[in-house]
Amino acid sequence: MSSWNIWSVPVGIISLFIISPVLAIFYSALLGDTTLWPHLFSTVLPRYLVNTLLLMLGVGSLSLLFGISTAWLVSRYEFPGRSIFEWALLLPAAVPAYIIAYTYTDLLEYAGPVQGYLREVFNWQNSQDYWFPNIRSMEGAILVMSSVLYPYIYLLTRASFITLPISYFQTSAIYGRKPFFAVALPLARPAIIAGLALVLMETISDFGTVDYFAIETLTLGVFNVWLGMNSLSGAAQISSILFFIVVILLTLELIARRNQRFYEKHSRQETIDLDKISNYQKILFFITCLIPLILGFIIPVSVLLNFVLKGYSVVNISEVVDTAITSITISFVASTTIMLLSFLMVVVATYKSNTFQKSLIFLASCGYAFPGTILAVGVVVFVGWLNEIFYFHINYFIGGFIVLIFAYTLRFLAIGNGSIRSGIMRINPNLIDASRTMGRSFLTTMKKVILPLTYTNILVGGILVFVDILKELPITLLLRPFNFETLATYVYQYASDEMLEESSFAALIIVVAGLGPVIFLSRTIKKYSNKTN
Amino acid sequence: MKLLTLLIITIIGFTNISIAKEVNVYSYRQPILIDPFFEEFTKTTGIKVNVLHAKKGLLERVVAEGANTPADLVLTVDIARLSQFVQKDLLMEVNSVILNKNIPPHLRDSNNKWFALSKRARILAVSKDRVSNNSIKNIEDLADPRWRGKICTRPGSHDYNRSLLASIIAANGEEKAEEWASNLVLNLARKPEGNDRAQAKAVHEGVCDIAVMNTYYFGKMKFNEKNPEQKEWAKSINLIFTNQDNRGNHINVAGGGVVKYSKNKDNAIALLEFLTQPEAQILYSKMNYEYPVNPNVEPSEELSSWGVFIEDQLPVERLAELAPTAQKIIDRVGW
Repeated sequence: MSSWNIWSVPVGIISLFIISPVLAIFYSALLGDTTLWPHLFSTVLPRYLVNTLLLMLGVGSLSLLFGISTAWLVSRYEFPGRSIFEWALLLPAAVPAYIIAYTYTDLLEYAGPVQGYLREVFNWQNSQDYWFPNIRSMEGAILVMSSVLYPYIYLLTRASFITLPISYFQTSAIYGRKPFFAVALPLARPAIIAGLALVLMETISDFGTVDYFAIETLTLGVFNVWLGMNSLSGAAQISSILFFIVVILLTLELIARRNQRFYEKHSRQETIDLDKISNYQKILFFITCLIPLILGFIIPVSVLLNFVLKGYSVVNISEVVDTAITSITISFVASTTIMLLSFLMVVVATYKSNTFQKSLIFLASCGYAFPGTILAVGVVVFVGWLNEIFYFHINYFIGGFIVLIFAYTLRFLAIGNGSIRSGIMRINPNLIDASRTMGRSFLTTMKKVILPLTYTNILVGGILVFVDILKELPITLLLRPFNFETLATYVYQYASDEMLEESSFAALIIVVAGLGPVIFLSRTIKKYSNKTN
Repeated sequence: MKLLTLLIITIIGFTNISIAKEVNVYSYRQPILIDPFFEEFTKTTGIKVNVLHAKKGLLERVVAEGANTPADLVLTVDIARLSQFVQKDLLMEVNSVILNKNIPPHLRDSNNKWFALSKRARILAVSKDRVSNNSIKNIEDLADPRWRGKICTRPGSHDYNRSLLASIIAANGEEKAEEWASNLVLNLARKPEGNDRAQAKAVHEGVCDIAVMNTYYFGKMKFNEKNPEQKEWAKSINLIFTNQDNRGNHINVAGGGVVKYSKNKDNAIALLEFLTQPEAQILYSKMNYEYPVNPNVEPSEELSSWGVFIEDQLPVERLAELAPTAQKIIDRVGW
């Protein structure tokens, strides 16, 4: 069967279209002068690079630790609060990184309540009397970013753990092997890697937190070159380095697992009974799950709530409600679009494409590795080329709306693709072959076999994308039409001046708007996994 | 269903936008600072103002939109970012009697493509208790080893510091400026972090004795009713205007210009003119604690009470030209 078929060709074209803004960035990188490079190499670049890698290493490790440990505990053991933790551990995903950075600074800085209390207790007079770790540091950035990013890993890994066939655990028990290391970890690897890739891409492209904490990463360098030296092409060149770091990482992983398979040999499954454990273990597991929840959700939300209760915030209910409706609408439309595309792209890449087409589809999801503003500039340039067709001749607002959806797709497709791919890799190819041999068309196979088997993954991806768009700031800020406000841009009008107190009410609404879907998702996954088991 | 609702909303929005009496603004200025001016403008003239606020990338957006751009007016807060619009040939020449009268020549483009609308001085906020009044006279003094570990600033690559360094390059040459910057870095009490207000706060907390700050932050702290704690920060600092015996204190501007492709050119010019008239200029100084550009308008009483000062007369355009050089020095010294 030729790989140039009615599935792969259109999907290839869509992929190419989606990635065009990235090509526009490369194009301006190539056009630009390279005279800045000797200066950058001899001054800031080594530092930026080391900081970026350190940040990735730190956030990656801590997120893995939080994400995998909690996913394993809630899916295998019965302990107090387990059923609450199941969904509550997702809550930090609803907290934007720039907000958590701000709230932690407020709490832990010199004038904050923690140091104030310590000074009172120990009778210290000023900052020279004692040492206290600075939250605005590499360690601080790793801590706060991991606390809100680990849910990507938690969510995908847990979805994988709860669908593991029980027979594998029985086998490992017979041989006296530890089920976590012998079975769960190896089989959940695609999910873990998918989650980790998302975490790393988010880390590498983050501007809000590193700017607030003054961590000199490549992303901060991008902006210094762009705005400080007035060189967009120089900025595009540094962005391209970021991009290649990510592509190399993902390719390495792809090569490493090329010859492994993760699907079940037979699909008969039995419900996994939760293991009974001692009281001592119950306490230990409870605390393990509580820590990330406290760090990523309870602390920042309490700080925001405190601002609101103290009356620091501007509470304009009708404005916030209007803004929330806009936010939820656009997030819903965009996340649905993205998941449809993701499903189509991953399915076609897996079953219908040659290596070239696969690479194209893979590249289309790499927009996540670019800083949002740079991606937005790429979109602006690309749409500028197209604007006779697109932007202004439809209708300014609808055109603007479409452009926003397009930019979100480019940015968040990686999340959709990642979560769907981790599901598809576990489908036994024999099932597809069987369906095709029975004369079912590919479309029917897709609907009757692949869709039901990846349903959980589609939901997981969809909700993550939804919550991410709800929080998304730089793209929305630059690409929106006039008088168009989302919750994130609304919060930003104060936060940009480090006056988050005033927008704490709207910031809380972002979190609340993200809660509903997150809880719904968790319930559905549970119901669905019970049904299939 | 939701999509349908949104489409209806946007279509209604669209009909609003096609009313003739309107002006579309791309703004780097924060909405909370500039919206009251727009409201006043609409009240006076009946012209509706549509705003798109962003922190970066509006230049690229106008470039890409080209002749189709809906933007009529751009507003920025830093001269370097304003003159980038001129470099890309995106602003039109505006010959308005009112603008020429209200804005002195060194605060507008020689070809009348951009206009400053307000001024801010970059000053020193020093500890009342720990720094005596006459110990610092010039910005150059910050390089003195006696201030080792005593100074706080935000990162060097922020617009405001880049512009300050550009003014020093203009005054003393690149080599001297680099020497100054590297000594300043040695004198820092901590790694540069936070915004200007955070530096004043650090002086209050005893982390350092001297902070580099824009004037208006002082007013925002002194009268902060929402967060009264900040009043204490303001109480613990004195303001020093630098270089009063020589070139004067460094200033930067917020300003704007009319987009070349503007479809509502007259309204855009009307808005610019409105912003330079005494009523608006007074509002700048009363509400935002910024200095008026209009020479016929006195700064508010509050602003004057901080001290009357001589300002550096360097044409602000020069700051924009020197910004890339300044950024390179900042990279080299690690500010």
